[in-house]
Amino acid sequence: MNEITLTINDKQVKGKQGDTVLDICQANGIDVPTLCHFKGLTDVGACRMCLVEIEKERKPVPACTYPARDGLVIQTHTEKLEKCRRLILELLFAERNHLCAYCVASGDCELQNLAYQYQMDNVRYHYSWPSLPVDSVNNYLVIDHNRCILCGRCIRTCNEITGVQALDFGHRGWKTLVCADLNQPLGESSCISCGACAQVCPTGAIYTKSSAYKGRPVECTKVHSVCSLCGVGCEIDALVKDNRLVRIDSPELANDRGLLCHKGRFEQLYDRHNRVTGPMVLNSQGELEACSLDEALNKINKKFSELKSHPGNGSIAGLASSQACNESLEAFRKFMANTLDSQLVDTLDGDEYRVITQGITKFQDGAKLSIETSLEEILKADTILLAGANPLESHPVVGSYIFRAVTQNGANLILVDPLRNVFSSRTSVWLKPPEGKEELTINALTKAIIDKDFAKDSIDLKRIAPSVKDINVIQATEEAGINTDVLHRAAEMLAKSQHGIIIYGKGILRYGNPELITSLLNLAAIAGSQDRGKPRIISLKPKGNSRGAWDMGLANSQNSILNSTAKNNVKAAYLLLADDYVDEPKLLDNLKRMEFVVVQASYLSPATYIANVVLPSPTWAEREGSYTTLDGTVKSASRLLQPPGGVKQDWEIIHKISKALKE
Amino acid sequence: MAKIKIATAWLECCSGCHMSFLDIDEAIIDLSKLVEFTRSPITDIKKFSPVDVGIVEGSVGNTEEEETLKDLRANCKILMAWGDCACFGGVCAMRNTFDKEEVLKRCYIETESTYKGKIPCPPGVPALLEQVKPVNQVVKVDCYVPGCPPEAKAIQYALTELLAGRIPVLPSEMMRFD
Repeated sequence: MNEITLTINDKQVKGKQGDTVLDICQANGIDVPTLCHFKGLTDVGACRMCLVEIEKERKPVPACTYPARDGLVIQTHTEKLEKCRRLILELLFAERNHLCAYCVASGDCELQNLAYQYQMDNVRYHYSWPSLPVDSVNNYLVIDHNRCILCGRCIRTCNEITGVQALDFGHRGWKTLVCADLNQPLGESSCISCGACAQVCPTGAIYTKSSAYKGRPVECTKVHSVCSLCGVGCEIDALVKDNRLVRIDSPELANDRGLLCHKGRFEQLYDRHNRVTGPMVLNSQGELEACSLDEALNKINKKFSELKSHPGNGSIAGLASSQACNESLEAFRKFMANTLDSQLVDTLDGDEYRVITQGITKFQDGAKLSIETSLEEILKADTILLAGANPLESHPVVGSYIFRAVTQNGANLILVDPLRNVFSSRTSVWLKPPEGKEELTINALTKAIIDKDFAKDSIDLKRIAPSVKDINVIQATEEAGINTDVLHRAAEMLAKSQHGIIIYGKGILRYGNPELITSLLNLAAIAGSQDRGKPRIISLKPKGNSRGAWDMGLANSQNSILNSTAKNNVKAAYLLLADDYVDEPKLLDNLKRMEFVVVQASYLSPATYIANVVLPSPTWAEREGSYTTLDGTVKSASRLLQPPGGVKQDWEIIHKISKALKE
Repeated sequence: MAKIKIATAWLECCSGCHMSFLDIDEAIIDLSKLVEFTRSPITDIKKFSPVDVGIVEGSVGNTEEEETLKDLRANCKILMAWGDCACFGGVCAMRNTFDKEEVLKRCYIETESTYKGKIPCPPGVPALLEQVKPVNQVVKVDCYVPGCPPEAKAIQYALTELLAGRIPVLPSEMMRFD
């Protein structure tokens, strides 16, 4: 790092080689106005607000794209520059329809703020009054081209941060518009509705439907928290006004984990289901009836005490949804183990856990989930194998990481999936086995690497080779309906990878077959090389806090307790659903057969309707607690909203039941 | 000292700026000791007589408004524009993204409540201009108080500055466009 010294506004300041003039100004507290600059994005010098005068330069230059050099003499606020800036602002206002009185962004607009700063009380130019379209086809986002200043922040965000590359400039000259794909409406384009463009838009050109006119940022309280919808664990800044969520922003968009997806940013603003706002019990007419918490607890106490004191009459099973936070799950675990003395505990996604861990154990005795790598590794990948997963649906931010690796690193993307998904069109190789032939395909890949002698320096070769030695690659590809050359190409990519990542998800886990997981791990051990780096592995876990619940040992039972209810004579169940909406028929059938079901949930769902007692649970926004991301980091979330009157925190209620039972 | 003479006019607007001016509350008593309003929208005086300060609210959208504005300009030493419509075109200028004919047709024929509508035409009513303009595109303007409407304190500031013999420019913290 070479230090350089510059003179800005007659003062000596220091910076480092590689900085732009704007970087150095900002680092030294010199306020140079900007519009198209956004921290973390490539600077393009589109708006010219940051013009500065540099000695020996013929004319003012944009500070954001001017590389700083030792000895530069710079002026940032001369009369000439201030005149230029005011002129630029007037031209921007005259170019399109920037009429703040009916703009959604008024009060939260960088263009408006600069106009105020430059006391722009009139515009000296004739307005062009264009009649530009407004695109509101997307579920969450609106593009109003009339407010656009063509700064290109959204386009650079879509390209550099989200990696989707849906947005670009279309048309030419003064007819230029921000377009999605080949000028499709945003809602019909390849846009993934992550909303990052709306967050970076300096004006009201791209805005979000869910937040429009709900409150300006100045009227809101900003709370830092963590999204718990999937296991990525993105950090969020929630804007709250009058106990209502107004908007969810990313605190630092340019960070690797700064991305948000449509679920985290928008879906959580809507209450899609009816709330459970207080305790309810099943009355004699077979309907749920609101009751006091004491009444509900009494009912639970009576039944549970009865079963506990006469174990022969039946046992009590506990099922938790991995959407709950660690604290609630821990309280639940202790309650089941210590208070009810029941070993029949499982999570709703326990089957996935057993498949993954059994697969890992088969690969290497004693190995655990911790052999998986962190999500950031995807960004560095040069080869990605995506097996039976559509991260854009289940974990959209992971999908973005893959897009970025492909578009920014030129990573090879190998898809092993019978079904088409968004990634199919961006893959280097799409291995498309029929359903059920995934394992064969993966093993054939491993064998192809061994056959080609790519794996000769692998220390795992001897251990793994026997498990695939009977496979004939040509026969296997024929059986799986895959072109042998294509498979060989994929094998070569994996073998030569320096930073490979193998990601698998629902499409693999649904078979409940640990061998599939082992085959993927075998492939990871054979591919790559010892010095260049072995492919790393990531499983996309089903729920927001799956890893937390699993690490806690909630899914440690040998088999799904649902499959062994008869064997274990389960007569009652306690379900901690939190804000999970449960409508899985198999689970519901099982519950219907029980004598007594307690459901603790935020929303009314098919599961609450078969309960004998329903207890209220706060939603994610009303909870305070921690979540474990799918790659094993614990993140704490703050309470954003006050829960409705009768709703208590999950652990509070569990403690109350526990106390009542002990008495 | 003779009182400063002020005439005000409203063009294509909602009169919100004049209302906002009345919101200066008791300050209007002190102000009235220093200034005299010769003509305002409530006097029903058709032509302007010479004044020191002319104040205009609203944008220019038809021939009558154009004439009123030019008359005011010819009769005042300093012309001040009030509000977003006068300064930038404002809400009235929303029609500029359509053709004049389209606007008239929508307004007088196609509105859902209209039965057998007819587009009114001169000389009965002033003719609509092709486009709505902010006042500075028709006459020279000396100072501006933007806002929709401008806050009473901004209007008061501008008048106080004028009385002190200065051409007011709103400080950044008083600027607002909504």
